[in-house]
Amino acid sequence: MGGGADGVAYFGNLEKVSKKAVSFLKKQGYVKSMINWGDKFSLWPVHLMTSCCGTEFAAASGPRFDLERLGFLPFGGPRQTNLIVIEGTTTLKMARSVRIVWEQMPAPKWVIAMGACAMDGGIFYDSYNTVPARDIVPVDIFLAGCPPRPEALARAVVMLQESIVKNRPPAADIQVTAAPATSGSKDVVEAVSK
Amino acid sequence: MAYEEGFSIEKNSVEGAKMSASQDRATTANLTYDELAGLKAERELVLLIGPAHPGSGHMKIKVWMDGDIIQRVDPDIGFVHRTTEKLSENRLYIKAIPIVERVMLPDTINANLAYVIALERLLGIEPTPRAQYLRTLTSEINRITSHLYGIGLYGIFLGSSTVYMWAFADREPLIDLLEEISGARITYSYIIPGGVRWDLPAGFKERAETVLQYMEARLKDYEKIWVKNPVVMDRTEGVGIVSKSDAIRLGITGPNLRASGVDYDTRRAKPYAAYPNLDFNVPTFSEGDCYARLLQRVEEIEQSIRIIRQVLKDIPDGRIISDDIYSKMNPLQKRMYEMKHRVMFPAYMASMRPAAGRSTASVEAGRGEIFFYLVSNGDKVPFRFRWVTPSFLNLPFFTHVMVGQHLADLPAIYGSSDYFPPEADR
Repeated sequence: MGGGADGVAYFGNLEKVSKKAVSFLKKQGYVKSMINWGDKFSLWPVHLMTSCCGTEFAAASGPRFDLERLGFLPFGGPRQTNLIVIEGTTTLKMARSVRIVWEQMPAPKWVIAMGACAMDGGIFYDSYNTVPARDIVPVDIFLAGCPPRPEALARAVVMLQESIVKNRPPAADIQVTAAPATSGSKDVVEAVSK
Repeated sequence: MAYEEGFSIEKNSVEGAKMSASQDRATTANLTYDELAGLKAERELVLLIGPAHPGSGHMKIKVWMDGDIIQRVDPDIGFVHRTTEKLSENRLYIKAIPIVERVMLPDTINANLAYVIALERLLGIEPTPRAQYLRTLTSEINRITSHLYGIGLYGIFLGSSTVYMWAFADREPLIDLLEEISGARITYSYIIPGGVRWDLPAGFKERAETVLQYMEARLKDYEKIWVKNPVVMDRTEGVGIVSKSDAIRLGITGPNLRASGVDYDTRRAKPYAAYPNLDFNVPTFSEGDCYARLLQRVEEIEQSIRIIRQVLKDIPDGRIISDDIYSKMNPLQKRMYEMKHRVMFPAYMASMRPAAGRSTASVEAGRGEIFFYLVSNGDKVPFRFRWVTPSFLNLPFFTHVMVGQHLADLPAIYGSSDYFPPEADR
């Protein structure tokens, strides 16, 4: 510590200290845990009802089960959300929409496959018009039941929260790949690539 | 313009709309009729609503607009088509029950009942009187939960989250009642050929009466916050009117039909289960607008409460499964039935071979009339399995009613029809 001639007091080298502080915070993992904590309690599922488990999803958002206490708030636009709950069967026609919505969502994003149909076809396993969820998007949590009770959905959300904290790779290791341009005209694609 | 189907404005871009607006300002007096028609076509805008949209459910609605006024509506269905008919034609008769239930998830008992009645007619089995009353009881409880589901989602469509919260909270005690009878929350698979699977548990009547009293008290609260709410009335009165003749011509069914003044209810027109012995009204409204459809559901809940009270009072004693099925049980299953009043499936259920023939059944579900048509050729599986669901019958409603309305009224009209896409797509 020293004093300057013009009355300014210096407390060490500010640049050095700030670098030290940043490396300390990184090393201790406070920044990462802060981001994880934020993501953990802001899992906003997009309002995309793929099938009949949507009724139990609605009940789970209702007052008795009230998943909003876990930060689980259904939201309209895919751009503001970070979670898809695939509610049951996905038909070939719906699969395309699921994929488009998933591509529209900003990273980081998670997927819960709800119900036996989303896991492996369930009761509709031999239908000619259904696709398992894992063939459309990468799934983080599989949730059994036909349909799963709202408590089970709450459990899946808690499990996802735990996995966000435990298993999440450091920010540098998360690979964000550009979504393939399946939708939109040529002009749009060109405009984006510029 | 070669836009991909999905998230773009088709046919005419925003620039097109701007251009036509500037042309509007110029004089149109010396244009020919064809030129004027071309101008109008240029002004047309196509909006694609859904399936990732809170106001559409599992479907896409294509809307052609002129300014704020809807010109044409094309509901794009098939997002939840799970091929139940084809699947059921490859399963044993008894295994089709869960499949028909999955299609009508808020209203499973009625789907189950319709299928089982058609199957019983094919087999020539008659259920016992107690089973008939239990079928009516569960069917009416499920009708109330189905209507509350519709009311809750209509609340969301009109921007009233309170009503959604109320309706979904008040659905739970009724679901608890059904859970107590059948052991499942939503998918009960309660009704089987010849009767039902479980008897009423001890003390059920008292608990049911408590729930009914609670429900009646809540309906008065709903009147204050939902039915007589000035905002709700403003948004629904005089919007989406279907006249009586149009309702009949379009083949609309269920509460939507009765809200247009047609006094038709399958429970009375083609009686089944215990309905011939019960006293109930079929409420109708002559207006045919969204508000009438809203009131219709509230009135039907009141009638369902009345029916449930009568059933609990008049329910006869006796077996819950017909003698045909009981005689096919093995001794262990019979002992289990006598001890616990629980029906275990006899081996006959897995090898039912109805005689060659055909049968039909109609049931009034929460959203309208379900129609079943089964053809048997004497095999273990149905030769033809055909069913028509109420939501599919209500589909022409959109194309007819939304034309000429404002875009802002689209959610109000859509929600008032209580349309459930998985049910329509089967």
